[in-house]
Amino acid sequence: MTEPVSRISYLVNRISRNTKYVIRNTAIGGFILVGLALIAVFAPWISPYDPLAVNLPDALLPPSAQYWLGTDLLGRDVLSRLVYGARISLVIGLIAVGVAVLIGTMVGLIAGYLGGRVDSVVMRFVDTMLAFPSIFLLLAVIAMLSPSIYNIMVVIGLTSWMGVARLVRAEVLTVKEREFVLAARTIGASTARIMLRHVLPNVVTPVLVAATLGVGGAILTESVLSYLGLGVQPPTPSWGNILNEGRVALGVAWWLTLTPGVCILVTVLAFNLLGEGLRERWRC
Amino acid sequence: MAAYLIRRLLSMIPVLIGITIISFGVMKLAPGRPTDVMLDFNPKASVEARERMEQLLGLNQPLHAQYLNWLRRIVTLNFDRSFRYGRPVADMMLERLPITVTINVCALLLILGLAIPLGVMAAVRPGGWFDRLTTLVVFVGYSTPAFWLGLLGIAIFGVQLGWLPVSGLHALDAEAMSWVGRTFDVAHHLVLPVGIMTFVGLAGLSRYVRSGMVEVLRQDYIRTARAKGLPESAVLFRHGLRNALLPIITILGLSLPDLIAGGVVMETVFAIPGMGRLFYDAVMARDQNVVMALVTIGAGLTLLGNLLADLAYAYADPRIRVGKDQ
Repeated sequence: MTEPVSRISYLVNRISRNTKYVIRNTAIGGFILVGLALIAVFAPWISPYDPLAVNLPDALLPPSAQYWLGTDLLGRDVLSRLVYGARISLVIGLIAVGVAVLIGTMVGLIAGYLGGRVDSVVMRFVDTMLAFPSIFLLLAVIAMLSPSIYNIMVVIGLTSWMGVARLVRAEVLTVKEREFVLAARTIGASTARIMLRHVLPNVVTPVLVAATLGVGGAILTESVLSYLGLGVQPPTPSWGNILNEGRVALGVAWWLTLTPGVCILVTVLAFNLLGEGLRERWRC
Repeated sequence: MAAYLIRRLLSMIPVLIGITIISFGVMKLAPGRPTDVMLDFNPKASVEARERMEQLLGLNQPLHAQYLNWLRRIVTLNFDRSFRYGRPVADMMLERLPITVTINVCALLLILGLAIPLGVMAAVRPGGWFDRLTTLVVFVGYSTPAFWLGLLGIAIFGVQLGWLPVSGLHALDAEAMSWVGRTFDVAHHLVLPVGIMTFVGLAGLSRYVRSGMVEVLRQDYIRTARAKGLPESAVLFRHGLRNALLPIITILGLSLPDLIAGGVVMETVFAIPGMGRLFYDAVMARDQNVVMALVTIGAGLTLLGNLLADLAYAYADPRIRVGKDQ
């Protein structure tokens, strides 16, 4: 009798050990994000200098007691620019994903719940949008609209909602077969009411996970666009455009290239840890 | 199988039409006229000259007529001429295609060669130290901006250590080199971009191999194979890996459009004159014909990759082949 019991306790132990790591990783991701959010909110109090103040005599100074992370080509304090850059990155990431979630949820809900011809037309459109290599679509649309903070948020959102739409549609297809939907229909609830009050709340969890992972992706996209000169325009600091400006001084001023990249890496990593952790937790 | 293929091809038609409409629409709705680029913002170009030019190019026709003309040309693979260089777009693409294909094929082979053993090793003991280590590396790989690694690589290996060239494909004296020398020279230039693309791409693929393998190792036939006393390597590689690799076919199919789109950022960072760089330059110069051609081909390759993946999958897995025919 002892054999199977020890096997089971071994398995349980194994699972709980894994869960422990998952919880720890989720917590690390969450902590970093709370910290970043605080930095972004209190940027004016935290940053030691004005991120836009040009001070040419102090150009390209390495990190020192006066400038903790050095200065850039125009003598601006890199630490202050990174702190303000956190604001830009987080806001762009969150709003871009907000746009994507809003469109994707609406499209997926309508296609999945109404089904039939609506579904096939809408999903063909989703297939079409997914066929474009995303970088092609992003660059072509941004160049058309001329780059600005608002345009990038909208464009990243408009080119990344398809995944959410597919996810929501798949969830809706299973939820709409459940008894409570049938019950709602029998008592005469309208289609819109069933979709919004009965089906939608049941697909929130996977969308939340996808959105968390999506913010990391959106921040990466923003940094690529800003690096290519098609994103946030100088002098407004963003981690991507600091990298772009640092490229000129790549051999001499390593701090201009190292620090913004580390910021991007840590932020995106935090969103990925949190998203994956939530996915494990909620089993979706 | 034939019926399935025909159904698949038919279902691609509306998507293909949608692709051409979006590719065309995005460029044509852009503000600014393409003749701006051709006349090089020359203030001396008179209104009449501009109109003559627009008439010559068919740009004064209504949009739907322009679209149909363009569609008629691209189905015969005629992509017209670049507004900026006046050269046929097809020639410009064919010049650059081998470069981008070489880079992406090298990276893909390296990724496959590394990701499969890594994924298997992680899957053998899920939750073990190796699995946790690779998970960590994968998370970091997912979260790292590839262009930043490129910049770091240039700073460290190019500028500081001076081991590797940092831009372009050829050394200054490449013309004087022998055939072998030139090949080595190009390879030398590709170490950094290909290495970085491999690291970044490794993350996703090794995860797929791992989860496929974990799934397969739970199956009854694996237990049977172990029970009948097969050596562990045979269990893992002959019974396990072959089945775990099936989903990789889909991943390979989906990477087909990367052959032209995969290098936009890397080619810009390393100043490599490939398809991605061509696209970036064309977007910046609003060279409509080039952008439209590349966007359409990129999206077309996605469809083709999907189709090929499905066919290969059906070929490799008889269960799907039989199921689809019914």
